[in-house]
Amino acid sequence: MVNVTLRVNGETRSASVPPETTLLRLLRDQFNLTGSKLGCDVGDCGACTVIVDGQPVNSCLMLVGQVEGREVLTIEGLANADHLYPLQKLFEHFGSLQCGFCGPGVIMSAKALLDENPDPSTEEIRDALGGNLCRCTGYTKMIEAIKGASCILRGEEAPLVKSA
Amino acid sequence: MSRPSKLTPLKTIGHPTARIDAVERVTGKATYTGDVHLPGMLYARVLRSPHAHARIRQIDASKALALAGVKFVLTHENCSVVWGAGSISGGRQYVDDIKKITRHKRYLFNNPVRFFGEPVAAVAATNRHLAEEAVRLINVDYEVLPFVLDQEAALRPESVKIWPEGNLSPTAKNEMEPEVYRRGNVEEGFRTADFVFEDRYTTTYVHNAQMEPRLCVAGWEGDKLTLYTPTQGTSNCRHDMARDLGIPDEKVRVICKYMGGGFGNKNQNQDADLIAAVLAKETGAPVKLELSRKEDFIGVHGRWPTTQYYKVGVSRDGVLQALQLRGYSGMGPYRKNTGGIGGIELYQCPNVESVTYPVYTNRAVSGNYRAPEFPQGFFGIESMMDDVAYKMKMDPVEFVLKNMTRKSDDEVPYTNYTLEECIRRGAEAFEWKKRWHPPGADPGPIKRGVGMAFMALRSPTGQSSAVIRLDSNGRYTVFVGVTDIGAGAKTTMALIAAEALGVPLSNIEIVWGDTDRCPYSVGESGSRTTDMTGYAVIEAAHDLKRQIAAKGLPKGDNVLIASASPNPTSEGKVRKAFGAHFVEVEVDTELGRVRVLKYLAVQDSGRILNPLTATSQVKGGATQGIGMALHEDLLYDRQTGQPLTTGYYGTRIMTHLDAPEIEVIFIESDDGYGPFGAKCIGEAGIVHAVAAVGNAVFNAIGRRMKDLPITRDKILGALV
Repeated sequence: MVNVTLRVNGETRSASVPPETTLLRLLRDQFNLTGSKLGCDVGDCGACTVIVDGQPVNSCLMLVGQVEGREVLTIEGLANADHLYPLQKLFEHFGSLQCGFCGPGVIMSAKALLDENPDPSTEEIRDALGGNLCRCTGYTKMIEAIKGASCILRGEEAPLVKSA
Repeated sequence: MSRPSKLTPLKTIGHPTARIDAVERVTGKATYTGDVHLPGMLYARVLRSPHAHARIRQIDASKALALAGVKFVLTHENCSVVWGAGSISGGRQYVDDIKKITRHKRYLFNNPVRFFGEPVAAVAATNRHLAEEAVRLINVDYEVLPFVLDQEAALRPESVKIWPEGNLSPTAKNEMEPEVYRRGNVEEGFRTADFVFEDRYTTTYVHNAQMEPRLCVAGWEGDKLTLYTPTQGTSNCRHDMARDLGIPDEKVRVICKYMGGGFGNKNQNQDADLIAAVLAKETGAPVKLELSRKEDFIGVHGRWPTTQYYKVGVSRDGVLQALQLRGYSGMGPYRKNTGGIGGIELYQCPNVESVTYPVYTNRAVSGNYRAPEFPQGFFGIESMMDDVAYKMKMDPVEFVLKNMTRKSDDEVPYTNYTLEECIRRGAEAFEWKKRWHPPGADPGPIKRGVGMAFMALRSPTGQSSAVIRLDSNGRYTVFVGVTDIGAGAKTTMALIAAEALGVPLSNIEIVWGDTDRCPYSVGESGSRTTDMTGYAVIEAAHDLKRQIAAKGLPKGDNVLIASASPNPTSEGKVRKAFGAHFVEVEVDTELGRVRVLKYLAVQDSGRILNPLTATSQVKGGATQGIGMALHEDLLYDRQTGQPLTTGYYGTRIMTHLDAPEIEVIFIESDDGYGPFGAKCIGEAGIVHAVAAVGNAVFNAIGRRMKDLPITRDKILGALV
């Protein structure tokens, strides 16, 4: 067993787990943060994406030994009690998700992108989210939402769904 | 998206509406099966066959059982539970009577094992690591047997027999015969035709590849099983579990709140559900069984691969005289579903013959994947017809308009018909005449080309149930057995209820995904939930309105409860949705790469209840179709019978970087059936997408790609 202490969504958390435990399993099983999803467990699908010290990572590929003392942000840390983060708000508005299983990972990848690049082009969004697979949507409604959220985060008005 | 609509607008229905549960989904609060944790829960793992075909001489689990924390090991020696939905004669998945007579039964653990990845044993232990370790300690002595992977080769006399009777899977009557459809006389038709064309097309095993791998949590309280599982149909899953375990339906409770997609491979019960339930019974503790992504690819089904031989007779003026299909579908070693090859019914032809052989092979088991028998069949027939049009020197769209189904003559009529409108409007919006050029005419090296394909897809009415409760605060609670696989069924049911009751959407609450709380629902498969359960919601709303008229609104602690279990018909007529896809691709003739540049989908799914979720269905379906056309294939090593491309890295589903913008035009119509005239939509986007992409590639390079997927090596090979 290894002891690990890290910051998760602004709180200090500790656990004692077998060394082969991944960050994803630590979050889900030990801290009951089940928003991050296990889609493949080998880094192909991105459903488990969280932000570690500002960088998006596949939490299924990171072992507990690598997270000591680090700052982790998960989907649960994005919204506060009555306020959705703009990405979440716009994913809701545009119907960007269907089954929603990929959603937490997609939104965290998009958050990391917007933190670094407040006004990404479509190509930059596609590139940044290339590792976040989705089988339901065809992806394009996510791009609309991410662009809309980038407008809001820059203090501009977001283009919303045209009523048919 | 645009919607040229002639329908009378409704108040709640027909406007882009965010999902009523979108907040749960975007905040990570939605509870999927994997998020369920029960106190004292054990973890299960499955040991799977490393051989495509082998007899088990001996299993020794003593070392695994000696490990502290290992609670139970299941094998074929101590478990004889039959997975009824896992293999059924004729592939008639819902028919209990056929399950009883099915000769080629699938047990939870079979000996011999008949495909790589078939369960051999299952372990329950106090944690995942122990369960994994225990699986490694089980010693199995195999007698390796010859195997066959190809559906056509499996019918040759020299092939190994996977079942004693041979490799042709029996019909629903247990007869070893192919599925046959005949109309008119094809031989006569070919004799009178001016031209006869013949060709062969093949399609591959494509996995559903839904984001959430199969898993479940099973626990018993006394003699009652509670099963948390991602199932597309809680009602049919419950019935399957009860039948397979030999207990009454009411002794099983199935709960599925949120699920991460399925596209057909999470319908009914899965062997994982039964394994967990049996382990939970044996150990007296709840059991969680999670399949890895690789296990999901080999242990849960994908689309059946096919080989299709077509023969087409045409008159000099381009009118079909005879149409013949001989098809082979690879079912894996168990018949889970029909193995049909759909598509030739798309054409109006007096002489038709279709003979399809569902064949056993030693590959992963095939089953339902979004429009089960259509994308592969439509690829074959619509490629074939595109080629006939080319050889007849006709514009493909003109050829289609001349020969597509119209249900004239002696056939059963459609409830309504908008196929021609879909095609004409699509051709106009896409600027077909301007974009089309003779195949291969683009000088390249990056060549552009356009293709189209069309569809008509069954949209049946049928039985489902709904209950609505009204309290004195004006809350309408709608109880429906839907599970919301991702299509937005909860939101759709709420919209239908609000419209039918004439109350705001915010007054509606949905109770779903729990067989102890909700009445029967058809299950989210076959694009039926909106049509069938939605219709039941309308009927229940009418019942409630009658009660309100008679008794007044409830006061204090009183409630009114209304229900309906309608089983509407389309009065002898055929109800179908219609559509046409138009695609422009570019093909890099030096690298073989295909890129979709422009994609237009014209769709008539009756009245569109929620444009926001409806467009998503079409876009998502078409995107899967592009992946099937260009990339996806579960490859096997011919020497060892082992799958090579399990998982996302190997099988290459569409990513953000591949997905084109897909424009959707809805042509709305109301045929007087279904909820407010809605027809099917979930499967509609994929059925003709594969064919449309293939035809566009042909137009670009002037070479017909007859074997899916159309990968770079095949393109380069065709251009040599």
